[in-house]
Amino acid sequence: MMRDVYIIGVGQSTFGKLSDRTAADLGLEAVSEAIKDAGIRPQDIRVAYGARQFDAATTAQSILKGVGVAAIEMVNVENACAGGATAVRGLWKDIAFGLYDMGVAVGVESMTTSSIAGKLIPPQKDDLDGHLGLTFPTYFALIARRLMETHGAAAEDFALVSVKNHHHGCLNPRAQYRKEFTVEQVLASFMVADPITLLECCPNTDGAAAVIMCSKDVAMRYTTKPVKIAASVLLSGDYFFKKADLTSITLGKNATRMAYEMAGIGPEDLDLIELHDAFACEEIIHYEDMGICKPGEGIKLLRSGATALGGKIPVNPSGGLLSLGHPLAASGVRVIGELALHLRNQAGKRQVPNAKVGMAQMLGGMDNGLEAGAAGIHILTI
Amino acid sequence: MEKILIKDGILVEGPDGVTLAANRCKSCGRVYFPKSKFCLDCHGDELADLPLSKRGRLFSYTMPGMPSSHFKPPYAVGFVEIPEGLRIFGPLDIIADQPFKIGMQMEVHEDILWTEGEKEYIGFRFRPI
Repeated sequence: MMRDVYIIGVGQSTFGKLSDRTAADLGLEAVSEAIKDAGIRPQDIRVAYGARQFDAATTAQSILKGVGVAAIEMVNVENACAGGATAVRGLWKDIAFGLYDMGVAVGVESMTTSSIAGKLIPPQKDDLDGHLGLTFPTYFALIARRLMETHGAAAEDFALVSVKNHHHGCLNPRAQYRKEFTVEQVLASFMVADPITLLECCPNTDGAAAVIMCSKDVAMRYTTKPVKIAASVLLSGDYFFKKADLTSITLGKNATRMAYEMAGIGPEDLDLIELHDAFACEEIIHYEDMGICKPGEGIKLLRSGATALGGKIPVNPSGGLLSLGHPLAASGVRVIGELALHLRNQAGKRQVPNAKVGMAQMLGGMDNGLEAGAAGIHILTI
Repeated sequence: MEKILIKDGILVEGPDGVTLAANRCKSCGRVYFPKSKFCLDCHGDELADLPLSKRGRLFSYTMPGMPSSHFKPPYAVGFVEIPEGLRIFGPLDIIADQPFKIGMQMEVHEDILWTEGEKEYIGFRFRPI
């Protein structure tokens, strides 16, 4: 029988260009904070999941030895941008199915010390599209162009997403960039791939995030207000040829639908969303795929202010990848921790008032012939 | 110069010159470029060769300001919709008096995409017509 799983501790490292620190050191900062936040002893952790994409090697072990935890089951995963969500999902399964009562999931990335630092990621030998010039920014530029063609989007709309998320980031002491921008400034930044400008792309960042999870009876020993994981979903991408248009990401849409079903809620029940805004234009697509507006009305929703702090359904109140930066495997854990802070009413100046239900989404990965790599969705309630 | 095709079997000599080499599932009709060994949709294992139409319509495009693995700005890339029901990604020729517009007719042609030392890498580009 499946048990409910709860989050009792969250932690995040400093995010930034931190080439003087190792991945293990960043992970240690996040895990130590999560342990302290939960009020547990490190030795209460009986299982650990580590996520990392670049130059990964026994990630969880290298971090946890720093808090005096060794010789327990540790699993290390890689799933592109969804790596962190994959670690949480793995831990969720272990606790839900009764294998363990308490564990930690940690995602970490040290982009600036990785083997790809300062380089373009070279395409695999058999990656035809990659050799023909397909990169993440060009792909999202082609998507943005379709939004302009079929959804009435203007270049200013993509800039507006960046303005909104940077404004949120100014309220978050953990954001890498805490700076307000105007639509004009975003549009005037370097044209990475028209219509996408530099300030509409997330920066490369080093950082880590961790969550302590446990069963209900264990959670009640530490807190009277544990955050429940009402849905945990991990899904991989289908073939690209099945895709109808570029303005919907079928993988994200399907994974979200599964999560709503599992949690027994609908998009109208959400109080906040943290999602993958590696490129500003994609946030608009996710609005529609998540059903927080009707298909084709993402631009209208954005312009209405509903997805900004103070609006009906704030999206990326943390500041998103656009202002926090994107340490790939850390982001999937970080967004889950962010929801927990809001549900506990501890999110400081960026707090979404009376937040009871939140959804964290992280998706990514590009593999020639597939729509995307993986999507992880978690719905949290209190 | 040694000529190297960037991926085996992607080009074929059709009735109107060189074009993209696809294949089609005999069971469900799904068309694949590059060719597939079996049908990824219905899992049928009989596929027939199908040279694609040389012409299609521009579906989306961009002119990146940053380099990709083999191209430096200025260059253009995009998706072209082919009548056989495929959306194909590739480099686009930039022609001064023919700005890109979604829906415009494009034609595929064989070209040297990049060189490395004494090696010429051969692939395809789409050109506005």
